Amino acid sequence: MKKIILLLVASAILATGSYAQKYFTKTGKVNFDATSSGSPEKIEGVNRTVTCVVDAKTGNMQFAVLMKGFEFERALMEEHFNENYVESDKFPKAEFKGNIANNDKVSYAKDGTYTVTVKGKLTMHGETKDVETEGKITIQSGKVSAAADFQVLLSDYKISIPGLVADKVSKSAKISVSCSLEALKG
Amino acid sequence: MKKRKKILLILGVLLIVAASVGLYIYKEYNRTHKDTADIKPDHSVIATDLIKDFETDEQGSNKKYWDKVLEIDGTVKDITRDERGFYSVTLGDTASMSSVRCSMDSIHNNEVAALQKGNAATMKGICTGFNADELLGSDVILVRCVVVLKK
Repeated sequence: MKKIILLLVASAILATGSYAQKYFTKTGKVNFDATSSGSPEKIEGVNRTVTCVVDAKTGNMQFAVLMKGFEFERALMEEHFNENYVESDKFPKAEFKGNIANNDKVSYAKDGTYTVTVKGKLTMHGETKDVETEGKITIQSGKVSAAADFQVLLSDYKISIPGLVADKVSKSAKISVSCSLEALKG
Repeated sequence: MKKRKKILLILGVLLIVAASVGLYIYKEYNRTHKDTADIKPDHSVIATDLIKDFETDEQGSNKKYWDKVLEIDGTVKDITRDERGFYSVTLGDTASMSSVRCSMDSIHNNEVAALQKGNAATMKGICTGFNADELLGSDVILVRCVVVLKK
């Protein structure tokens, strides 16, 4: 009898603690859109190989992006993006390290959608700048998805736009992040 | 009369030059990506060797493999499909956390269906670099991948 109670207690503890502390993906998406308003030419690239980790306990989150992994519809645009703008041979990675400021409001064990504020540092093109944005965290049957949109000023990251294309390339790029995260086992 | 012919000739030549420059710009501007299936690989490597190369010397390996077309032999560890239908295939040692991660070209999606977890396969794609991660395992990442051979 004692053994059974012990077993029950143990399994109850295990069950309550069974939701993972960390969630991750390696196939997260980051969309880069520098289309100038009014210009018919879409300047848009997507990266589908983004690594993201979220620590449910602390609210810490991290993103790692390989710049060369941005795919543009036009080959020439992709070449210019890599060679002239972000210089991905010199700066192959972009990184975001931050924290969900109101992480205590998110219950990772329960289904729901939460609006969160994310603050952190974005490193791109060798420059690190503070970024703050609103995002959404959705919990659905143990799966966590995270999404956020924010603007970055290209000049903040020392990415210069030649005068010739100044009317086509926006001075600020819209970055959209969307990740479906899985529980990290272990 | 002679002068007029000359002018006409010059005008004609100029017109042809302008038209070909225009055509070149138009074509270059609208150029799409080459299908990876039609590109000869720059290197042929075994998945686990490629991972080892990056783990021991990331900078040197970046120089060697970055932006190159690689043909990779390995064991299929996992095949995942995202909500928009894009496939991602990992190759490597199933006992290790590290992999070669191939983001598949969507026009070759039908080839992915033929792959099987645990079987050997050869993939081809463009190397975008290395993501070192102690917690999640390190990945060599390839984009616009196609299946070359399945077993």
